[in-house]
Amino acid sequence: MKKILLGGLFLLLFAVSSFALPQPQAQVEKMVDSILGVLQQSDLSAAEKKAQVSGRVQEYLNMPSMSRRTLGLHWDSASEQQQKRFSALFVKVLEGTYLNRIGDYSGGTVKYLKQRVKENKAIIDTVIVSDELEIPVQYKMLYGNDAWQVFDIVIEGVSLIKNYRSSYGEIIRKNGYEGLLALMDKKVQAMESSM
Amino acid sequence: MLLRIFISCFFGYLILIGSVSADDFDAAFGDEFSDNQAVAEKLIADPLQTLNRGTFWVNDKLYFYLFKPAARGYRLVLPRPARVSVGNFFSNLATPIRAGNALLQLEFRKFGTETYRFVINTTFGIGGLFDPAESVAGVKKQVEDFGQTLGRYGFGHGFYLVLPIVGPSSLRDATGVFVDSFADPIRYVNLETVEYMGVKFLDAETRLSLDRETYEGIVHDSIDPYLFIRAAYAQRRLAQVGEDTYNVNIFEGPLFDGDLLNPFDWFGF
Repeated sequence: MKKILLGGLFLLLFAVSSFALPQPQAQVEKMVDSILGVLQQSDLSAAEKKAQVSGRVQEYLNMPSMSRRTLGLHWDSASEQQQKRFSALFVKVLEGTYLNRIGDYSGGTVKYLKQRVKENKAIIDTVIVSDELEIPVQYKMLYGNDAWQVFDIVIEGVSLIKNYRSSYGEIIRKNGYEGLLALMDKKVQAMESSM
Repeated sequence: MLLRIFISCFFGYLILIGSVSADDFDAAFGDEFSDNQAVAEKLIADPLQTLNRGTFWVNDKLYFYLFKPAARGYRLVLPRPARVSVGNFFSNLATPIRAGNALLQLEFRKFGTETYRFVINTTFGIGGLFDPAESVAGVKKQVEDFGQTLGRYGFGHGFYLVLPIVGPSSLRDATGVFVDSFADPIRYVNLETVEYMGVKFLDAETRLSLDRETYEGIVHDSIDPYLFIRAAYAQRRLAQVGEDTYNVNIFEGPLFDGDLLNPFDWFGF
């Protein structure tokens, strides 16, 4: 009797865990592997790497959600056209920021520590390990478009989206929505010319 | 009877797991996941923004025209491993700050870790020049300071402050830096003011020479570096105060189990 119960318990536990399991973390792993795959090809030039990474990362990110959350309250008060312009510029700012870091890559692997899933939300804890430092990186994900997609990255406790929201929010309050868009436009052009 | 105990244990277990993980999960997500858009975007109060921006500007110039060139020269004079050792030395020397604050926060385990690291690194690590506690036993440094201690006991930042040379801080954290300086052994070595400042300069330059141009990246990429750094500072400090929600603890000693070497574990702390 006890054995059956124990067996049932294990079955149940197993069922519970496998029910929630693999997709979100597997998705992050796929994204990371595809980026590392490009970075580790030593025969590619920096420009080629940038182009390839940029193309590959897009499908793993929920850009509409990232844009909306970055603007927070200001999203609703903007016109649809302004929202579109913001989204387009924001993608370019993110790309410019992270693609410019590609040159800094000098080896390192990613360890997956923990996955937490609740309904359509998930948090994946990872750590980037290189020779001399370890950087905890957390991915926050949403299930949408039939796949798990990243909508925020938290590095050493600093959420990317919160950081943008805080600084962009203050710029909007000071310079208005158009002021922010103009500044972003200028930044993107500067980034593109320096690439 | 047995069955009943078993069942109640099982459900107790489920409830326990459920409640623990739910709290943890929601805390980690915070307001990020709620579709409620009215999320506070102000991460830290900044009533002295004009003054702060002035200091920020001065620091920026100091960085590019004094500290950065000095770090470049330093890199040429001293090879990387030697600079790492200098950094280790200063870090080891600052153990009383970290251990003391761990104790003030009743984090006995962290206190044990810091004590252990100090003993191992001062002896086997030749006066702290090397870090065998981490490289061999896999026991990592626990960063604690008095600003964090105050935060742990519920003190907020007060307001944001950019300190000359030091950089981003707050009323609370600047107080913390001042208090921590009393636990800094260098303070009690009989040094002239100029010598003391020279030692601090070396400490800062060592760290800068090992850094990978983080600041340049931020200045290059953000529309307003001042706002970006302020937001990152507020978030980082919040995470440090409530460390357990995000921190990763990977005790994986290649030779020993790190926990085995922590005397506080022997007594079940």
